[in-house]
Amino acid sequence: MIGESVPMLDSIARVTGALDYMINLRLPNMLFGKIVRSQAPHVELLKVDITNALRVPGVIAILTGEDLGANAFYGVAIKDQGVIAVDRVRYVGEPIAAIAAESVEAAEEAALLIDIEYDELPSVFNAQEAIQAGAPALHDKFPNNIFKHAKLRHGDMDAAFAEADEIFEDTFTSPVAQQASLEPHVSAAQWGGERLTIWTASQAPFMVRKALSEIFEIAPEAVRVIVPPLGGAYGGKGHIRIEPLVAAMARKTNGRPVKFVLSRAEEFVTVTKHAASITLKTGVKRDGTFTARQVAIYWNGGAYADASPLLVPAGMVRSVGPYRIPAVSVDSYGIYTNLPPAGAYRGAMSSQTTWAYESQMDIIARKMGWDPLEFRMKNLFVSGEHFATGEELHDVHFVECLEASAKGLSLTPGPSPFGRGEKWKHGRGYAVMMKSTVATSKSQARLKLMDDGTVTLYTSTVEMGQGGHTTMAQITAESLGIPLSAIKIIGPDTAITPFDSTTSASRSTSMMGNAVIAACGSMKKKLFDLGAPLLETPIDELRTEDGYVVADEMSISFGDILKRNNLDALEESGEYSTSLGIDPETGQGVATPHWHQGAGAAEVEVDIETGRVTILRYSAASFAGRVVNPRMAQLQNDGNVIFGLGPTLMEEIIYDGGQATNPNLADYAIPSIRDIPAELISVCIESDEGGMHGIGEMTLPPVAPALANAIEDAAGVRIKDLPITAEKILRALKEKPEP
Amino acid sequence: MILNVNGNKHEVQAGTRTLLEVLRDDLGLVGTKEGCGVGMCGACTVLVDGKPISGCLILAEQIAGKEIFTVEGLARNGKLHPIQQAFIDERAFQCAYCTPGFILTTVALLNENPNPGDDEIREYLSGNLCRCGSYRNILLAVKRASQTK
Repeated sequence: MIGESVPMLDSIARVTGALDYMINLRLPNMLFGKIVRSQAPHVELLKVDITNALRVPGVIAILTGEDLGANAFYGVAIKDQGVIAVDRVRYVGEPIAAIAAESVEAAEEAALLIDIEYDELPSVFNAQEAIQAGAPALHDKFPNNIFKHAKLRHGDMDAAFAEADEIFEDTFTSPVAQQASLEPHVSAAQWGGERLTIWTASQAPFMVRKALSEIFEIAPEAVRVIVPPLGGAYGGKGHIRIEPLVAAMARKTNGRPVKFVLSRAEEFVTVTKHAASITLKTGVKRDGTFTARQVAIYWNGGAYADASPLLVPAGMVRSVGPYRIPAVSVDSYGIYTNLPPAGAYRGAMSSQTTWAYESQMDIIARKMGWDPLEFRMKNLFVSGEHFATGEELHDVHFVECLEASAKGLSLTPGPSPFGRGEKWKHGRGYAVMMKSTVATSKSQARLKLMDDGTVTLYTSTVEMGQGGHTTMAQITAESLGIPLSAIKIIGPDTAITPFDSTTSASRSTSMMGNAVIAACGSMKKKLFDLGAPLLETPIDELRTEDGYVVADEMSISFGDILKRNNLDALEESGEYSTSLGIDPETGQGVATPHWHQGAGAAEVEVDIETGRVTILRYSAASFAGRVVNPRMAQLQNDGNVIFGLGPTLMEEIIYDGGQATNPNLADYAIPSIRDIPAELISVCIESDEGGMHGIGEMTLPPVAPALANAIEDAAGVRIKDLPITAEKILRALKEKPEP
Repeated sequence: MILNVNGNKHEVQAGTRTLLEVLRDDLGLVGTKEGCGVGMCGACTVLVDGKPISGCLILAEQIAGKEIFTVEGLARNGKLHPIQQAFIDERAFQCAYCTPGFILTTVALLNENPNPGDDEIREYLSGNLCRCGSYRNILLAVKRASQTK
């Protein structure tokens, strides 16, 4: 079962349009929700008058800051975000009021009749400007707008830089981008007394449950979170999004459910990718080794801390790179600005950091006259070495990843085999990335075996297109010894499926996979205990196969074991958790249960008359440990590369006074089938000792630097600010001094 | 007005609503999705007289009398359409929110051109967006469908 490319379990529903996405949900007596949002970036609210709006026929209730209790604030570590604005608004798009009505039309009409008065406050949108003296402070508790400063200190920096023959200092930037799942954020909530049920398109049902139980001051068990399959997420549905507002709205509708579906424009103000400015100072010796690296990262967190207090330290360890560097110092700053709150974006924080360190690798190699591939190979970590956190690295395969991706490129050296004349310049580029997953997290799984031999797996892993449920079914089938067809999956539903931290950071295959394996182990033990007397065989001579407990010459089906013991069902649970972390002052410790490893190699042609880039080949490799489903794994690799082309070549939210000017898919382009490389190669590296690794992000972060490196190889220009547009290339070509 | 959808006639009060809204809200044909609302992503693709159009851009009133075809009309007697089967065989989807749109555009493409080349497929499908990035397998699925049709 493991290692077989079975199709997704619900494939038929996916091609017939029958899959039950959240957006299809209709509940009896359901109301429609609409959010009234701020049009100014930073204001003191003076008045929110809903009198006229309430008179619109069909309007049932309106939620404003006046309805909120003292605890109506949330955020994973800093509870600075109100369920709805109370007396201050900090970004364009922040909810000021919400309406529940019998129809969308009534809600929209009422939205126009809410009278809002405010005084404008000075605002700041750029993270590095926000930390200057005199910049407007967004939150009283953080007068310099720095809500998180993560530090990594490893080795004697002064001595290490003194040993360097050359020191390179470069700054790389990434703009604000949007996750842009085609299914928007959708939630519906209903209260029954002091019990809340919320249906939501979320990657983190138990985080939602915790936040809602704290906001409404009810027991976690009084909150039921149900998550249907998602129409894409990419980090944008991680952590807490619209659920608090939706639940607060539903609290005013006398038990009637209310559903909110965000518009595409609202998506752009709900969550974004952190803009980042990253400065790397790197010392190298003439022998091609590193002496030191100093990193300063300024993350634009937007108006609320949201998940950034977790992501800023993660971004710190993800900024060093997969190379042997004796002395490392990183300062990673999470900064408030008057933009929408930023959150995880597929390959969270690594997309920005890999862009920086892998671009600089080529800058160094070029200046020093080294081959960029050999320079990387010479310095890449191998198993048993120690990272800048002090932790020992296990099961390290960076070299294989880079070799495998490089192998995919054209074997013909020199000028382009595809050349279309003099104006087309051909080049190659490479990049490698090293990413942590969640250091401390827990997954639980429960199995229920019925006397008809079928098994139900209760899991809170969210199926968001990655094939998580199919993967878990395959792991169950293999571990328990039953056919895939006998397995049904239920979840996530916090009332009936056990705990899971989150479906993110490519952690599920490893974490939930091991919880499922543990549950299967317990179930098998129970079946052996019950089956051994029936088969008159010692337990240690039994095995399972195809739904049977098998002895040498006899076997009995799981269902019959239950029946013969007068049981209609058997339930067993499993758990897998890790409890790791780094010291907040030094960054020393263990940052992750295992490191995510990926590489990419790009072959491009640049039209030096227009700056246009054509990607001839892109070859991607990730370390997968043990591949559960090869074709789905390859699809993850592919998807990462294609997703990564967006922020690399085209995606950027452009703001004017804090207002997004392109919050739609006409002016904010995402990759289409015409943007994909002419040839795309995906490789998953396996290892004997490796456990199952997630691969949901590994080949994404290398895309931007691999392409930038290939573009410099082709056209001799270095772009340091994403996205790499034709305009930027052309400008750089024009500004390039004549040789 | 009367809407002719998947060979069935439906009496609807469309008003000023889009075809997408009427299909989803009145007829319960929820396979057609809204992605962007401005005709860029193709998640709301339906066939009108055999041509793919964005259901979010057209008012239902505008297409009275025409034959509308949605993803729900593809499978016959419980058997998948060959293009649907090809999308499964080539694993040409992940979250699948875009999949009905891709499949219907492919139906129109293969009706017009039973053996399209790579460039023709890319050109024809460029109005459908897949954020999960399944494009390579979508190309394979279209080719497989063109061969098995």
